[in-house]
Amino acid sequence: MLVIKNLKASINNREILKGLNLKINPGEVHAIMGPNGSGKSTLANVLSGKNGYKISGEVKYLGESLNDIPVEERAQKGIFLAFQYPLEIPGVNTNNFLKTSLNTIKKAKGEKEIDTITFLELVKEKAKELGIDEKILSRQLNVGFSGGEKKKNEILQMKILDPNLIILDETDSGLDIDALKIISDGVNSSRSEKKSFLVITHYQRLLEYIKPDHVHVLSDGKIIKSGTSELALELEKKGYKKLN
Amino acid sequence: MNENFKISPSEINKIKVLNQKDKNFRLENLKLFNQQGFPTRNHEDWKFSDINQIFSKNFKNLESFKNEIKLKSINFIKEFDHNHILMVNGKLENSEFKFEDKNKIKIKSYNDSNFSLNNEENSLINLNNALSNNGLFLEVADNYSFEKAIIIYNVFTDDLKDNLLNNKNKIILGKNSELHIVEYNINQSKNKFIYNTTENVILNENASLKTINLQANQNEGFFYKFSKGKMKSNSNYSSFIFSSGPKFNKIDAEFDLEGENCDCNIKSALFINKDKHQEIKTKINHLVPNCKSYQKIKSVVDAEGKGVYQGKIYVKDIAQKTNAYQLSKALLLSENSEFNSKPELEIYADDVKCSHGSTSGSVDENSIHYLMTRGLSKKQAVQLLVNGFLNEIIGDIKSNSVRKFIENKIEIQIHGY
Repeated sequence: MLVIKNLKASINNREILKGLNLKINPGEVHAIMGPNGSGKSTLANVLSGKNGYKISGEVKYLGESLNDIPVEERAQKGIFLAFQYPLEIPGVNTNNFLKTSLNTIKKAKGEKEIDTITFLELVKEKAKELGIDEKILSRQLNVGFSGGEKKKNEILQMKILDPNLIILDETDSGLDIDALKIISDGVNSSRSEKKSFLVITHYQRLLEYIKPDHVHVLSDGKIIKSGTSELALELEKKGYKKLN
Repeated sequence: MNENFKISPSEINKIKVLNQKDKNFRLENLKLFNQQGFPTRNHEDWKFSDINQIFSKNFKNLESFKNEIKLKSINFIKEFDHNHILMVNGKLENSEFKFEDKNKIKIKSYNDSNFSLNNEENSLINLNNALSNNGLFLEVADNYSFEKAIIIYNVFTDDLKDNLLNNKNKIILGKNSELHIVEYNINQSKNKFIYNTTENVILNENASLKTINLQANQNEGFFYKFSKGKMKSNSNYSSFIFSSGPKFNKIDAEFDLEGENCDCNIKSALFINKDKHQEIKTKINHLVPNCKSYQKIKSVVDAEGKGVYQGKIYVKDIAQKTNAYQLSKALLLSENSEFNSKPELEIYADDVKCSHGSTSGSVDENSIHYLMTRGLSKKQAVQLLVNGFLNEIIGDIKSNSVRKFIENKIEIQIHGY
């Protein structure tokens, strides 16, 4: 699904990713853990195609190099980033935005666009699964949403857009236990042989709910250790410092 | 000033003057205009819109009147039921109030009952006083609430070219009356012309007036409108300005809050593209206690466009418990776009709530990125953000059918970014 070879990324002449290697097969869930400033969010940004980074190395998605692929095309090809801090977009109705997004992606895939009624049924069903109050979907996108509502809205978008590669950037931050459980259930129910997940997190807590196949430790722009979910437990006990 | 813009007193002979007094008044105002010319940026009120320079650049000669009129067919709004008034080049052509009790409405063409504003500071008002020969007088009786809105179709015909039109309107709402006006400008002319209007709005006790100003199309017109309002106690004024489209447009609104518990709202959502120039200027005079006023101006400026907002809130010493708020936000889409804002508070009372804010900036790159990660192209993302920015104003229109209609019109104004 995703192959990253010797990925380096710098911004404002400061190198953040310093030669990262990672391979994710279809159906796998990988967790990346690491201390503040290790490059976790940069990795998420770079995979999403965000401007402003100077990049070398290779990122291949479904066998195709992503290096020159712009942000929206990555999304259209099935890469989804759930933001750590979802942005508030004033004046833009959440449902309208979701429909525009879904239809743009469908169109790019050569699929038939969805009509409003079918769309609303789909949203209703998915929102219910995530315990999202439907009322917030007729409000402005993320404006006045609580931290939990914003994160749930990210997962709702993931469910509706139905991507192949899902990157969750610190989705657990700022969530209470109940919200964490709902969101994890949302992710777990989406797991399939065709979908892969890259779960970026600070804490082991999330991994109690979303069980990863592989855990990697990112430190100073490189993966310094990889293992199974046992590694996450070890980190929780010993802290990151001991690994260095 | 451009000598070609001097207007000969003989022009006044072409107007059907009422009496010698009227004629003298016109001559006096013409003299004032000819002394000053069109305002330049040296005049504080025209600091960001040097209309003398703008007119000099766009007009060689100005002809004051246009007699022959070739009116093309008009697309009347079908989206919602309404009464209508048809004005052609500023002249009242006809009106229809099929939803209303006609005894409660007085409507006529410009005549002596129209007002004249004396303002030696504003040469455009002098010019208007000297030459205006058309306009609308509308009066609503006490205790009458309109069933449906009135749409004023302001049509400008194709044969206008290098013309200068001067117009006066007066709208009076009786006590406890209620009216909703949509001023819809349809410009059939491909050419440049100047339309200079002064308007007097009188809201008696407990009256409520809502107005929406909208342009049907992009055009080459140069518009200036000075609107003077007087509000008696418990009256309510709410104005939405969606005037994107003309080459130049300045809306200059001055409202006197003369009775307690008035509420005066002016909101605007503008999209200024190409080399267009738009200014909104407001002056709200709180003259008595316990009134509210609110101005919220949102402008999107693209390409070589220029937007201006000048807003002043004046609070007289006795006007305690005033609640006044003013906000201007501008979104600049191009490096060559320009927005100027001058907020002013002049407060002589000590127990008031008054504030103002002004921001301008480009579209947030992180927001664009967020939307693009959901599959939208950059163009789509910017368009969505622009729509969202302006929707905050449009969303305040209560009537669903009117709001939808305006949303569509604004979509057309923005389309093609």
